[in-house]
Amino acid sequence: MWETLEVVLIYSFILGSIYLLISLGFSIICGVLRIFHLGYAYLFTLTVYLTWMFMKEFGFGLVPALLAMVVVQFLISYIIYKGIIMKYVAREEIILTGLLLVSTIVEQAVNYRYPIQAGVFIQTTLIEGASEFGTVVISNQLLVGAAVALLLTALFILFFLKTRIGLAIRALSQDIYSSRLIGIHVEALYTLTMFLILIPVILGTLIVAPIWAVDPTMGSLYMTTAILVAILGGLGNIRGTIIASYLIGFTHAFVSFVLGEPRFMNFSALLLVIIILMVRPQGIAKSEALW
Amino acid sequence: MVDVEIKRDRVIIRYKGKKWDWILEPRYWRNTLIWTAFLILFPLVAYFVSPILLNTLISANLYAAIAIPLALMTVGTGRMNFGPNFFIGVGGYTAALLSIAYGWGPLATLPFAVIASLISALLFSPLVIVARGLYYVLLTLLLPLVFLEITFIYTDLFKGDVGLAGIQTLVNTGSVKINFLLSAFISMLLMLVYLWVVNKVLKSRYGLIMAAINDGEEVAHGIGVNINKVKILAFVFASGMIGVIGWFYAHYFGTFAGITYLPLNFMIKILLVIFIGGRAQVFGCVVGGYFIAFLEMILIVTMGPIQPVVFAIILTVLLFALPEGLFGLYRKRRYREYLPTLHVRR
Repeated sequence: MWETLEVVLIYSFILGSIYLLISLGFSIICGVLRIFHLGYAYLFTLTVYLTWMFMKEFGFGLVPALLAMVVVQFLISYIIYKGIIMKYVAREEIILTGLLLVSTIVEQAVNYRYPIQAGVFIQTTLIEGASEFGTVVISNQLLVGAAVALLLTALFILFFLKTRIGLAIRALSQDIYSSRLIGIHVEALYTLTMFLILIPVILGTLIVAPIWAVDPTMGSLYMTTAILVAILGGLGNIRGTIIASYLIGFTHAFVSFVLGEPRFMNFSALLLVIIILMVRPQGIAKSEALW
Repeated sequence: MVDVEIKRDRVIIRYKGKKWDWILEPRYWRNTLIWTAFLILFPLVAYFVSPILLNTLISANLYAAIAIPLALMTVGTGRMNFGPNFFIGVGGYTAALLSIAYGWGPLATLPFAVIASLISALLFSPLVIVARGLYYVLLTLLLPLVFLEITFIYTDLFKGDVGLAGIQTLVNTGSVKINFLLSAFISMLLMLVYLWVVNKVLKSRYGLIMAAINDGEEVAHGIGVNINKVKILAFVFASGMIGVIGWFYAHYFGTFAGITYLPLNFMIKILLVIFIGGRAQVFGCVVGGYFIAFLEMILIVTMGPIQPVVFAIILTVLLFALPEGLFGLYRKRRYREYLPTLHVRR
């Protein structure tokens, strides 16, 4: 009994932290830009496959390849913001469908060039081996992921609460027109937000890439988790996102280790979201504010 | 007593104080008739030219037949449903399971597929009242994904990984080519009936009520419209129509796999039929369905393995390049915008 509880608690924490890392960017973009970034999946895929491309096709080392990948990701984000989001901000259905299509294009292009048989693998393991907590053995890389997730979330919260730019972004997330009136440069902050969300996505992907499956459709799986967390958390509220990440982490751990049915993991999380939404249609936290 | 009055441009039928007009003025139906005749001749031409075309034609009709009720649902509920394929899954699996278990043919499974779709739609219909904007989009987006998960969890029943096989075929004449031709005509009939029914509904006073709900629910409620009733009716009725397409897929292919119809990829195609066709305009859905099915087929034949990339790029360009869709190029006047707006805040 105690052993099961121990496993569930530890895995709830680890999985919840990783899910937080995966969905933090999604929630922030949802809270600030007030759009649902259905193209979010391509960010994960590009992180792995661009790094691999720079290493294999251009002969870069790991660090230069990572730097080049980051530059390209920033460029693509900028183009998507200017070309789609900024242009069609009043036409949400076009943005949603357009972003989904962008994600599909990236996924299919990657699948064409590097199908799953290509055996793509990037060595971004920071600490080898595993640690024991009682009867539970956890990969050190996952522990690093959990620590990074907590640290990054704390930094984001501090940034939004304690800095002037953070304050401006929070104002922007509440009302665009009033923000413009008091002199906030809306477009510049939107662009900054598009860049900011890349940080947790890239870090999260690089941390889990050596231990979880890498394939051209990996982004869709992560995006599904991010969607669930964002809906459960209240569409763009960081506090709600943190609670939702750990709730979904707990659900996954409970289903896997108590019920012994890992195949029910996604289904149980979906069910949890639907049940909570029926009781609280606005999610755990109201999406009226970023924090 | 039925009173029939024939005038120069219309036939008027009166019965117990009620009046029906049937307009004969050619300018109202000439183009529709020409296009319908063209569509009906197309399978015959395809039969002799290239049977592959028949398969594409069936896909086109089915894409359009999914998009037409979806357009009705969009207008009637004032919300964008991002998971219409859920009802394809319900209709298809009902028909497939019944056909495999009891050896039933398509005519016997049809009513059950419709009933299952209607019941599931009724179960989820509170969504159109409690959720709006982006919440509705997300919840409807999740529905087919939940269903897909279920097909994998209960794989003994749904065969989520390989799909159900051994379903009785839609037509069985002994000749594959004639089977294809008849299936093409049935799919076209289905699409044309949907087109006619939905067009009639949207042009009736119920269409006007739906447009009022679409414009502003509070205003519609203020002028005495029972908005909940109309939204639920539009949702359930359109879902039943979409469920029939699932039934068609199951019996047409003789197999049915949720992995083909429930993931996002299939849903994107349907949304693009609506957007590229003509932004929830019923005639635009036909244009969109044919355009996307034929573009897909041409690219498969000419491009080979890179087809999915090129297909998605072309559709992305068209999505942004045609603000009123392909049907908008044909129409001279700008039509009324019925697509509801989606906002993160409720």
